[in-house]
Amino acid sequence: MSHPLYDRLMSCFREKFPQNLRGITDAEAVQPGRLQPHVEEFLTWAVAAYGESIIETAAEAFVGFTTDVNIAQVRYEKEGQYRCHTYAEVYETHYSKAEEMHGYLWGIYLSNWLWAHHADLSYFYLDRFVRPIAAGSHFVEIAPGHGGWGILAMHRVPGATIEGYDISPLSIEIASRLARGAGLEGRARYEERDALSLSSLVPESADACVCSFVLEHLEEPEAIFRAVAHILRPGKTAFITGALTAAQVDHIFEFKKESELVLMAEKYGLRVTETLSANPARQLPKARFVPRSMALIVRK
Amino acid sequence: MDTLSELQSLFREVFQLDDLVITRGTTAHDIEAWDSLIHVTLMMEVETRFGIRFTTAEIAYLKSVGDLVDLIAKKRPA
Repeated sequence: MSHPLYDRLMSCFREKFPQNLRGITDAEAVQPGRLQPHVEEFLTWAVAAYGESIIETAAEAFVGFTTDVNIAQVRYEKEGQYRCHTYAEVYETHYSKAEEMHGYLWGIYLSNWLWAHHADLSYFYLDRFVRPIAAGSHFVEIAPGHGGWGILAMHRVPGATIEGYDISPLSIEIASRLARGAGLEGRARYEERDALSLSSLVPESADACVCSFVLEHLEEPEAIFRAVAHILRPGKTAFITGALTAAQVDHIFEFKKESELVLMAEKYGLRVTETLSANPARQLPKARFVPRSMALIVRK
Repeated sequence: MDTLSELQSLFREVFQLDDLVITRGTTAHDIEAWDSLIHVTLMMEVETRFGIRFTTAEIAYLKSVGDLVDLIAKKRPA
């Protein structure tokens, strides 16, 4: 099976960013043969929404994003804590800068697949969370960012619909365009709204809930579990991820143990049914912090 | 000592390869361990060794040892 957009993306890395190729080779090796079609699908939606130049734009954004993350992790090793501690600090230094955020979102979009440990989480999402969800289910995505996670589910669950709420107008724009590019006209709706104000939504209105890599960006990540417990119908499931001892320019809340996320879920009556904690194949020599990304599937 | 020689000793330390020989044309294609994480570690060591600072873009877009030599020359106080 050919993957022309994936091949074009890889050519870009080979020519311009050879130091990023080895990490991508790690991602390909997580489940051999499975990565390419998923990246091709993500790129197909992106090209449909933004044109072919988005491939080079996304490649550069991914490299910039990965570089920023690696710099933050090296500094975290030296300093022992994340640099930002409040949302206001991060807003001032990053979120208020539209051009920077554009690159940031495309970098994250590709990192879902091109970071080996995130590819692992994406397979877990598809195989263990999305696959059992019934046709026609209604999803709510909390802070979808680029929207890729929810759109992926829409492509696997026949007749499903999704509403996404994000505080960032740029995220709403990108997620909406990507959803249209993915052919989800009428099935995906995004609205500018603070994830912390979701308690005003109709309670028990979602058949499934997705909240990916949001917790660590908040001063009080518990609010997400409270919102999920409010939105989800009894017996239905949510997919929630978080980053642990993984520095990034906009990470605020420093999770150190997997149990911290589990306890937060349980506090709001959510039963943790499955978890996956994954770490990058390549780490700093003699690192005292092992960066991890953790996914939880919770049932109300 | 010229910049390339200084870099050679630094590359040997970072990659922990005592017999590593670099040229201006050396890229990540030529050194097995040169991944994005070591790349950042390397560039931060260069910053410390040469007393200069790089932007994220300069770190991300740097392709070869030759590019690094030129960038150091541009950044280093005359």
